[in-house]
Amino acid sequence: MKSKANIGGAHPLFYPVLVAACLAVLTPVLWMVSTSLKNKTELFSDPPLLWPESPSLAAYRSVFTDYPFADYFTNSLIVVLTATAISLVFSTLAGYGLSRFKFSGRGAFLAFLLLSQMFPSVMLVIPYFKIMKTAGLLDSRLGLIVTYISFTIPFCTWMMYGYFKSIPRSLDEAASIDGCGPARTFFEVILPLALPGMVATAVYAFITGWNEYLFALILTNSESQKTLPVGIGQLIGQYKVEWNELMAASIYSTIPLMLFFLFLQRYLISSLTAGAVKD
Amino acid sequence: MKTAAKPRSPAAIARSRAGATFVSPAMLVMLLLVVYPLAYGIYISFFNTNLLNRWEFVGLTYYAQSLSDPGFLKSLVITVVYAILVIGGHLIVGVTLAVMLASNVKGNVLFRAVLILPWLFPEVVVAMIFRLIFDPIFGILNFGLGAIGLIDSQVAWLDSPTWAFVAVVGAAIWKGYPLVMLLALAGLQSIPRDRYEAAALDGAGRFQQFRYVSLPGLTQILGVAVILEFVWWFKHFTIVWLMTKGGPVDATNVVSIDIYRTAFQSFDFGRAAAMAVIVLFICILFAAIYRKTVPDDEI
Repeated sequence: MKSKANIGGAHPLFYPVLVAACLAVLTPVLWMVSTSLKNKTELFSDPPLLWPESPSLAAYRSVFTDYPFADYFTNSLIVVLTATAISLVFSTLAGYGLSRFKFSGRGAFLAFLLLSQMFPSVMLVIPYFKIMKTAGLLDSRLGLIVTYISFTIPFCTWMMYGYFKSIPRSLDEAASIDGCGPARTFFEVILPLALPGMVATAVYAFITGWNEYLFALILTNSESQKTLPVGIGQLIGQYKVEWNELMAASIYSTIPLMLFFLFLQRYLISSLTAGAVKD
Repeated sequence: MKTAAKPRSPAAIARSRAGATFVSPAMLVMLLLVVYPLAYGIYISFFNTNLLNRWEFVGLTYYAQSLSDPGFLKSLVITVVYAILVIGGHLIVGVTLAVMLASNVKGNVLFRAVLILPWLFPEVVVAMIFRLIFDPIFGILNFGLGAIGLIDSQVAWLDSPTWAFVAVVGAAIWKGYPLVMLLALAGLQSIPRDRYEAAALDGAGRFQQFRYVSLPGLTQILGVAVILEFVWWFKHFTIVWLMTKGGPVDATNVVSIDIYRTAFQSFDFGRAAAMAVIVLFICILFAAIYRKTVPDDEI
């Protein structure tokens, strides 16, 4: 066990600073919740009501009845989950290969993985627009899935590579002495140990995809194919904004991320820093 | 007995083959989905094209034009300033909070749960929340400032070039500091406690302990964070686009928005592609720094 760092005890001044920081976080969040519960008259009350007098869930219903919100939500789920699953399979295999074997092109591949973090997404969106158009995948979920895989695979491979490095090689060697080939060693010995890393990697891929806006904005057109970020982004019209509906939609789209984090935060934080912090 | 310069045992060859087998699926996908589009994007940058029927080769014209275009250069400057302010904000807020959370402060778990929240909001949602906050009529900012008497009229924050820039920086700091906070917290917790005890024995006060024990323990992890963050925020699009569309005038016209406009509003695809390649080179410059920051055994 590592001992926990402790810069002396807590200084009394820490409390006001932490409370102020929490207020800075919670005020916008509560303002969002409060706005989502207002009805039309309360929205326009001057001065603004801090909390609606008769909180109503009307906006939470009307985003589904007045807008194709269910489509946006389904599209986001399908696109992001599929891209995440595919990326996870490829990146787990690649991460293991990179962490355990020497082969020609390994160094170049690792360098490219890092480099791929540097590409501005606007740089890829122009060729992707043309490629998808030619392939007939413009305005389709399949097109988005392919695009999302392109930016989740490099990142996921890098994360899995880091995670596999933290699993002692002696386990591979022991399996090998027991007569396991590389495939059996991987599937029966190492893969079960890598599950926490895979969970964390999947969550990161999910968060990245769930956040993605630019590609979906450019590659989709019809309401039936748009994702949640694009759908929410266009709720903010030129002339009028239904703030209560906009905030209700925002809360809906945040729920999956909150749930993921709630259940998986243990894996997330430890994997985030695996390899980055030396013991 | 003389052997070849690099003798390879059958076992080594088999292992090399196994490694290639594990990696090749991902490598193929990346060739197809990353390398090819990238090369195609560079190709487009040499053409005056609408991506349909007009493909007129112009060589490096667009590079020359972009690099001498005051509008583009200004957007690069805006982006650099934006990225530096956002990352500076993340570091100050993130490290300060991490140091406090790493102490035995009461209510630690609760503070941590609240302070991590912004990270869990999608970028689109963050942009929307902050548009609502800065809204002249519905915003809580005008209400709050009015209530304490700092302003007496409704200020349209996002219509003012200066305040709009402050607002998009603020929203990005709010959204992104938790990641730095988590990284710094993990870094602090990996510093052995006896170093603090040794420093305390040598008479180091709280600030000196932070300066001479905590900070050196954090440099590696924060070094990596800074470079990655720079690349992320340098190419950031979503929050700025949804809050200001790059305006008012061009006050928040970060380079991603400039490129987006050139490509998908002016349909000047070749020129936009050239601008994107220039941005890529700037990011690669930072990639080089990143490679130096990450110790060799990471590669």
